[in-house]
Amino acid sequence: MKQTVLASAVLAIALASGTAAAEEVKVGALMGITGPLANFIPPILNAARLAEKDVNDGGGILGGEKFSLVVVDGQAAAQPSVDAASKLVNLENVAAIMGGLSSGATIASANAVSIPNGVLQLSPTSTSPAMTDMEDNDFLFRIVPSDNYQGQVLAKMVLEENLNKVAVAYVNNDYGVGIAGTFKAAYESLGGTVTAFEKHEDKKNSYRGELASMASSGAEALVVIAYAGGSGAKIVKQSLENGFFDRFVGTDGLRDDLLIEQIGADALATTFFSAPTSPDDNPVGDVFHARFDEEFGEGSDKPFVDQSYDATMLIALAIEKAGTTDRTKVRDALREVANAPGEEIGPGDWKKAVALLADGKDINYEGVSGSHEFDDKGDVAGFIGKFVVDGDSYKQTAIFK
Amino acid sequence: MIEFINFYLIPGITLGSIYALGAVGISMIFGILRFAHFAHGDLMTVGAYGALTVVWVTGIPPLFAIPFAVALAIIAALSCDRLFYKPLRELPTIYTVIASFGVALILRSLIQVIWGTESQVYVKGFQKPLVYFDTFRIATRHVQIIASTVVITGLLHVFLSYSRMGRCMRAVADDASLARVAGIDTDNVIRWTWIIGAALAAIAGVFVGLDTDVHTNLGWNMLLPMFAAALLGGIGKPLGAITGGLIIGIVEECVSYPFFGEALLSPSYKSAVAFVIMIALLILRPQGLFKGRLL
Repeated sequence: MKQTVLASAVLAIALASGTAAAEEVKVGALMGITGPLANFIPPILNAARLAEKDVNDGGGILGGEKFSLVVVDGQAAAQPSVDAASKLVNLENVAAIMGGLSSGATIASANAVSIPNGVLQLSPTSTSPAMTDMEDNDFLFRIVPSDNYQGQVLAKMVLEENLNKVAVAYVNNDYGVGIAGTFKAAYESLGGTVTAFEKHEDKKNSYRGELASMASSGAEALVVIAYAGGSGAKIVKQSLENGFFDRFVGTDGLRDDLLIEQIGADALATTFFSAPTSPDDNPVGDVFHARFDEEFGEGSDKPFVDQSYDATMLIALAIEKAGTTDRTKVRDALREVANAPGEEIGPGDWKKAVALLADGKDINYEGVSGSHEFDDKGDVAGFIGKFVVDGDSYKQTAIFK
Repeated sequence: MIEFINFYLIPGITLGSIYALGAVGISMIFGILRFAHFAHGDLMTVGAYGALTVVWVTGIPPLFAIPFAVALAIIAALSCDRLFYKPLRELPTIYTVIASFGVALILRSLIQVIWGTESQVYVKGFQKPLVYFDTFRIATRHVQIIASTVVITGLLHVFLSYSRMGRCMRAVADDASLARVAGIDTDNVIRWTWIIGAALAAIAGVFVGLDTDVHTNLGWNMLLPMFAAALLGGIGKPLGAITGGLIIGIVEECVSYPFFGEALLSPSYKSAVAFVIMIALLILRPQGLFKGRLL
């Protein structure tokens, strides 16, 4: 008798855990919670959580199951991201991965984990041109435009500000090398002169040596292509302290509130930044931002909030469309839910999307950060904004499509 | 030439001072407890965040917050020793080495939970450096860091050479079993090793924060050059570790100076300098400059 009780108890536990596992559809979120992007993360993570909540409040996924994000920390660096992604794929058995954030993290984790294991990886923020032509068996996607494009736009912006001679300091990783190269090519072909082109390692304490030699090259401004939390803020600070440069141009990695906090807005008054952005005449954007601020109090204007929500939502839609967590089928479904044609679905329209998919209709997700039409490389066209410092944050002053 | 001093040598000495203070603890722990303490960088981070809290709460300059940083790091080091290293003391040291890896992760995660993952600064904004003779420029914080390191080195030398505890420490570092037979209280020596190692690590951590910013990987990122410094000076030779730290810091900053019109080494390879010195040393002079213990 005792044995039967024990056996049935064990069986009950086994069944309970078995069903609990089946009721949950897991998707990995590969974030750089620590490391140079740490300051960016809280709002980005909140956006992904909002997408998770929208799915679950809208009746769940795959016939009422719980949609669950598994968040891991890749430290915005290559090796830790590989470890974190491999935990997601092998231990958590996720259906797809949303992330990584920095290009170095995304490329490394895709090469080592998602591509060999056949897992869809959709990055909300990685902009390196190197991702376009990767041998990825079509498992790697992103919803921000490649830096091939941002480099060209940045070159135009710099020339429009009448800066004809600049020095470029870029961080030695996939992100820095990629955009620095495209910027230099575009800037020179438009008639500008790059007086110094110096790559550096992040995490160092002093960049004064490199900066001193760049300052003597006759540049009118310093283009800083680095993460503010890694080396960017230190470079700006040491340049100002020693009078090497007083004017800076930054990219999305530098456009971090941390920069203003550490340097002060006054010294950055003439500095401007380029960064992927959302279309400015998108009505769903305002609704989404209001909803975000209501949920989390603040932060809807922070970088990459829109992209993070869209990426998570797209993965959920792809799983729903695939009707299974089979990784290859989820990948196959992504383009079908993201690209035209199909009935347009906006952020927060989860219930509607599920109903349409159940009827066998084709859908087309039009997100907060753009319409997300993936090409055959897994890239999208998008928008680049020009930003300047405004109080303790940034404001967009122009947009390029 | 003046450019070399202002932008390469002074930052190099500053960085070297920080490495030096961190390397003293590594060298002493290696010499007395016979294991490579991988959590030493994170003791630095604990110190840096301890000072950050005081600066936040009271608004005093970070240098005056050092006593609190030191106290916090000592508490952390002594509790880690009691909880994790002492139970493993009789086992082969590789157990303790691996345990110290774990302790490093524990300390870092605790810091992330308590203070968050975002990078912080003690003082916002930027300050113009002091200018002497119209050309020599040095940041106030670099004067503070370098001067404090000189004073600490002097005190450390006096302590190790003339105090009873200092001499006991050197005896244990030279030959632990002989020291025990001679009646030296090794437990007390071990305690003092942790106290001094942690105190100097905390000061180094505050200096990093003062020079740049405070973040959770602050100490971990500096661990490798600090180990190289300890090896360079000779294991178990605290003053050697200070010399080693200064050499590595100065070399790391100065290799990118254009001595012959062209940078000697691209700045992106700065980090490799400590590696190269460490490997060369292990092959050519494994006992270090000051005849330390052989590994």
